[in-house]
Amino acid sequence: MTTLDQLKNTFFDECSEALQQIEGGLTDIRQGHGSDDTINAVFRSVHSVKGGAGIFGFDSLVGFAHVFETVLDAMRSGSLTATPEIADVLLPANDVLTDLIAMSRAGEAIPANYGSESRAALDSLLGKAPGDEPDDGEPAGDFDGLDFMPVMVDAMDDAPAEAADGRQTYRIAFRPQIEMLRRANEPLFIIRELQKLGELELVADVSRLPHLNEIEHDRPYIGWSGTLRTAAARAQIEEVFEFVTGDCDIEIALEQPAPVPEAMPAADSAANSADIMPADAVVAAAPELPTLQAPSLIPAPAPTPEPPAVEAAARPAAAKAAATTMRVEVEKIDRVVNMVGELVIAQAMLGQIVHGLPEDTSSRLTQILEEVIHHTRELKDSVMSMRAQAIGAVFQRMPRLVRELATKTGKKVRLEMHGENTEVDRSIIERLGDPLTHIIRNSIDHGIESPEARHAAGKSDEGTIRLMAEHRGGRIVVEVRDDGAGIDPERVLKKAREKGLVSQDAILSEDEITNLIFLPGFSTASTISDISGRGVGMDVVRRNIQDVGGRITLKSERGRGMTLQLALPLTLAVMDGMVIKVTRETYVLPMSAIVECLRPSRSDIHNLIGGRGLLQLRGNLVPVVHLSDLLSMESGVTDSDERVVIIADAGDGSLLGIIVDELCGHQQVVVKSMEESYGAVPGVAGATILGNGRVALILDVEKLSEIAINQTTSFTPVRPRASEPVPV
Amino acid sequence: MPIAAALKVLIVDDQNSVRQMTRISLEQLGVRHIHEAENGVKAIDTASLQPLDLIISDYNMPEMDGMELLHAVRAHPAARKVPFILVTGRGDRELVVKAAQAGANNYVVKPFTADILRTKIEQVMGRLS
Repeated sequence: MTTLDQLKNTFFDECSEALQQIEGGLTDIRQGHGSDDTINAVFRSVHSVKGGAGIFGFDSLVGFAHVFETVLDAMRSGSLTATPEIADVLLPANDVLTDLIAMSRAGEAIPANYGSESRAALDSLLGKAPGDEPDDGEPAGDFDGLDFMPVMVDAMDDAPAEAADGRQTYRIAFRPQIEMLRRANEPLFIIRELQKLGELELVADVSRLPHLNEIEHDRPYIGWSGTLRTAAARAQIEEVFEFVTGDCDIEIALEQPAPVPEAMPAADSAANSADIMPADAVVAAAPELPTLQAPSLIPAPAPTPEPPAVEAAARPAAAKAAATTMRVEVEKIDRVVNMVGELVIAQAMLGQIVHGLPEDTSSRLTQILEEVIHHTRELKDSVMSMRAQAIGAVFQRMPRLVRELATKTGKKVRLEMHGENTEVDRSIIERLGDPLTHIIRNSIDHGIESPEARHAAGKSDEGTIRLMAEHRGGRIVVEVRDDGAGIDPERVLKKAREKGLVSQDAILSEDEITNLIFLPGFSTASTISDISGRGVGMDVVRRNIQDVGGRITLKSERGRGMTLQLALPLTLAVMDGMVIKVTRETYVLPMSAIVECLRPSRSDIHNLIGGRGLLQLRGNLVPVVHLSDLLSMESGVTDSDERVVIIADAGDGSLLGIIVDELCGHQQVVVKSMEESYGAVPGVAGATILGNGRVALILDVEKLSEIAINQTTSFTPVRPRASEPVPV
Repeated sequence: MPIAAALKVLIVDDQNSVRQMTRISLEQLGVRHIHEAENGVKAIDTASLQPLDLIISDYNMPEMDGMELLHAVRAHPAARKVPFILVTGRGDRELVVKAAQAGANNYVVKPFTADILRTKIEQVMGRLS
């Protein structure tokens, strides 16, 4: 990749950020709470896109961004008012901008009239006929008449406080030392040179001239002081003294011009003359400034050139300034993540060894190990936070989707977003987009009613979809809530029966019925619309969420709307696990799924067939299964009293008790995928390496629960087709 | 005649891509000492810490825009004498006039080439060598 390509990538990354800003700002304006700051921020973002696009030669992008920007500029200056109606024109314009950026990034040819509709709408906001030539502003050359002062640059340069004519007055004082004349340097030549630079006024200081008969002919007794009014830079004046600097006391100081320079606003120049006069100038000007107190003549500390005005202006901005960021390739971070994983494993191995040592040797080691564990955990968290991205990256696509779908279906939909800054692991973000898109499609297509229907139901014409993300108990919860019609259980049940998804005589609760929409092959829309009916059902959505270790729950209230809640793990790479033993095999259960562990007495479990039972847990009955039964193994422990029951959340809010032989402890485990090598194994989420170097399978509680429900007797997880008859 | 290789130039722009492109242009002119700041506040910090010979700042930046930076630079004890070139968008004559009044030494319109930048810098500082 060439430098230019890399820079283009950087530019496009910046564009994504800008687009987010634009979308957010315009949405605020659309909803009627856009301030001047909002408009400014949107303007700035569009302007940045335009500027960068210009530099990298994306002309179509520049052209469109320019019209867009012109409208925003009109809003900034107040000649256009930021109304929701204008936002309705600008939001699609942002969509076009997004497309143009995407096409530019992909290197695709952009059709000549791409976005011409949006462009015409923008033009008409500006009161221009659509066919008008875009006003690309004046060519750069037009400004060339402006009066900019050239500045000679030099390290010693002392220039810019110029008077209106560009000339400045320097106070110059010089007194030759004895060496000067002995080296055949002539003060007269210096004076002549100074004269060439401008208007020179010098006064000879003869105060040290001795009596005539004491004069030594080769001694200089006269010094000169005065002013030089010149357009020359300080450096040029110093050049005059170049050969005599060591032999001569020289003072050159810029005199603060008495008249306020026109260019300087009054306040600034006040600050200038009072606060920020250079130290040497203060010294030179001192005799003329009787109010200046004596100590200030000591060059260094007193007239501290500290401009309070700037400080005041700069500090709050500094506090607000965005955190410094650095772009790092994902692979590099992934490598660190992998190393942290290896570290976790190595540390677990070390722990194993330490615990096997006699106590007198191990106590100190244990202490250190604890520290290592603590640091590893912190390290893991920091690395994970590096991989974390604001979920806004996914949310950002939704407003456009909602807009497009609303237009297509003729419904009025408002999208509210909350918690866009919630951070989620990148790998999850990447896999969240499609399910979320689908859920929102569904909401608009099936959930939100037409304005007429809403009106008839006594709701406001405009439906609301609320998209929310937050951290909740070690998980990320993403919620999509709409205030539409909700799910009609009768229709769902009828459909499910028609499709043979449930038996005709099954009695289901309302919750169970609504959850039928997650079954493969279920689609409620009587006609397949081109919105949600794209062959992707809610079952795929659920599968996607489960694939990233998430859970999806649905709550529907007829006539009031529905809520879909996605609970996602924070990360996919390392997780907290409970190591358990069944027979002689070791497994890991994700801590996130475990509600509690208990050792119930035999009488608490009401046995059913096949090692199944019901556990009386604080008045509730929880189904319990023996893990060895689920996994088709012989249980090593026969006495139920020694068994441990792990109460796990089966994902849909229901509980499942899993009987295991032994709890070995809680530890962080590195999740290694097995899918590549073995394909998806039902009930197994992955594998990990334990401290003793052995591989343990990580169990998928949700899937286990399904297996427990679906299988009346026992189950063989390695058997790919669960429907095959299993020997009892 | 300033020596390009000896110049210390500060580029201020919130867009990294634009900063890098400006840097490339400057490097083509032989400038070797290039500092970058992504906003006005950082620019002031940089200017306080080291002597600069030239500031090239974008106008359009969040937090502190180019004009605010210009005012701050002109009021800053260490940086007030540093030549300042404002980078603007096309067609913003009013802004350029304001910048000139506030003490900017020149302006350059985005997008610019290395040659344009050279012309602008030389107008401010004399021929680069």
